[in-house]
Amino acid sequence: MSYHYLLYELTESVASITLNRRETGNIINEELAQELRDICRQINEDETIRAIVITGAGTEAFCLGNELEHYSLSQRNTSLSVTEAENLIARYSLSPAITNISCPIVAAINGNAFGQGLELVLSCDIRIASNTASFGFPNITCGLLPIDGGTQRLPRLIGKGKSLEILLTGETVNAKEALEMGLVNKIVPPGELTSAVDQIVKKIKKKAPIALKYAKEAVIKGLDLTLEQGLRLEADLYFLLHTTRDRTEGITAFREKRPPNFEGK
Amino acid sequence: MNGFDTIIYEKKDSIAFVTLNRPQLLNAYNIKMRDELYQALTAIKDDSEVRVVIFSGARDRAFCAGADLTEFLTAPTPIIARQARWERDIWGVFLSLPQPLIAALHGYVLGSGIEIALCCDLRFASEDARFGLPETGIGIMPAAGGTQTLPRIIGRAKTLEMLLAGIWLDAQQAYCLGLVNRIVPRHDLLPTTHRVAQKIATYSPLVVRWAKQAIRRGMDLPLLHGLEMERKLATLALTTINTDGGEP
Repeated sequence: MSYHYLLYELTESVASITLNRRETGNIINEELAQELRDICRQINEDETIRAIVITGAGTEAFCLGNELEHYSLSQRNTSLSVTEAENLIARYSLSPAITNISCPIVAAINGNAFGQGLELVLSCDIRIASNTASFGFPNITCGLLPIDGGTQRLPRLIGKGKSLEILLTGETVNAKEALEMGLVNKIVPPGELTSAVDQIVKKIKKKAPIALKYAKEAVIKGLDLTLEQGLRLEADLYFLLHTTRDRTEGITAFREKRPPNFEGK
Repeated sequence: MNGFDTIIYEKKDSIAFVTLNRPQLLNAYNIKMRDELYQALTAIKDDSEVRVVIFSGARDRAFCAGADLTEFLTAPTPIIARQARWERDIWGVFLSLPQPLIAALHGYVLGSGIEIALCCDLRFASEDARFGLPETGIGIMPAAGGTQTLPRIIGRAKTLEMLLAGIWLDAQQAYCLGLVNRIVPRHDLLPTTHRVAQKIATYSPLVVRWAKQAIRRGMDLPLLHGLEMERKLATLALTTINTDGGEP
């Protein structure tokens, strides 16, 4: 299947998605959002996929937001009805589709990530950024709020204090600051981004796929539970892994001092 | 709203300034300050002209060095003291203000001082700021929300260290832990705070309130409920005409 606003590649069980509207700073329009949601569904149905990488085309921008954020002022001379606004948000919404993916997702942040672009980053599991990238929610400067989980996922990642500053002032943070506050896992020079991401993906691919999915689920779901419930979830998932062939293979390979050959079963 | 003894309240260009003003006692928090803050904050809460509130401490030595201990051991009975706590729920009012609150912190920020700062949304500190929770050293514990608000900002381990071992933080440590957003030179503290407040005051006041609400309430909800709230607020923002960045 080919896409108009995205590049999609599936190589050696790794899915690579590139936002491909370089001339606009990879801004999300309704069609791009639809294409990305389609890809997410397709990925979920493909059990051979072990990891996903999301990046932006070019070197300037990962994604500078969505059209709503960019053209809102001129378009909002007349007010929208609640139903119109709800429908509009639904057409741009991406994070439910992305966070519904069970295998690890790496954001390769090649440049600036603003507004919904940052929300896209926040929906991923591991974030590697070029040291030239900046991050921010300029939404407030044009009277808008994030629509795709930004107000909820940002504080869960970097805490309430910094999140309120970023959201209320509309100011951006640079890559170094983003690293210090835990917004990204690692920063590298632009020329080394691809290899840094490849290294992470290579590590992910060596692990047992179902164990990875369950570990991800335990952390993400667990954060919404009380500690007692979270421990219960962790133990339940752990014992479910007893039923996998990969577990037997992993332990056998370890005893035989050889690399395991996981099949995701 | 002039005529306060323990605080100074001013309003200029849609920004409210609340200055804790007992400088001879390091701006220590007492019953009178509680009552005056209660009056000022409940007024701010209903004042749609106020878009941002700045809290600071008068003079050079302290933002607020904690509760005024001379008034301790004076409440008639625990029953009455507890009743008073909830009849004049100053901390509840603090946390319910819809506007962004910015704390400008210098010198001693201890006990109730740190707890006032934690009720604020942004915290800026000068290099000389010092943070501590001395309560357990005098046989009491924080009661203005500190045991709940502090770990939610700096995490459990450091909070317990401050509370149980009585360690203090300097401005740099507070910055590294995320307790303060920025460190600025002393003479720049109020100007910087004011500048940021002015910037926020240029944004749509309703949307600013919703952004604050999305984060503060959202952090107390499971993620899915938080996302639902965000979507409702974002929908509201989209239906609000705001072409000049000003009043919707």
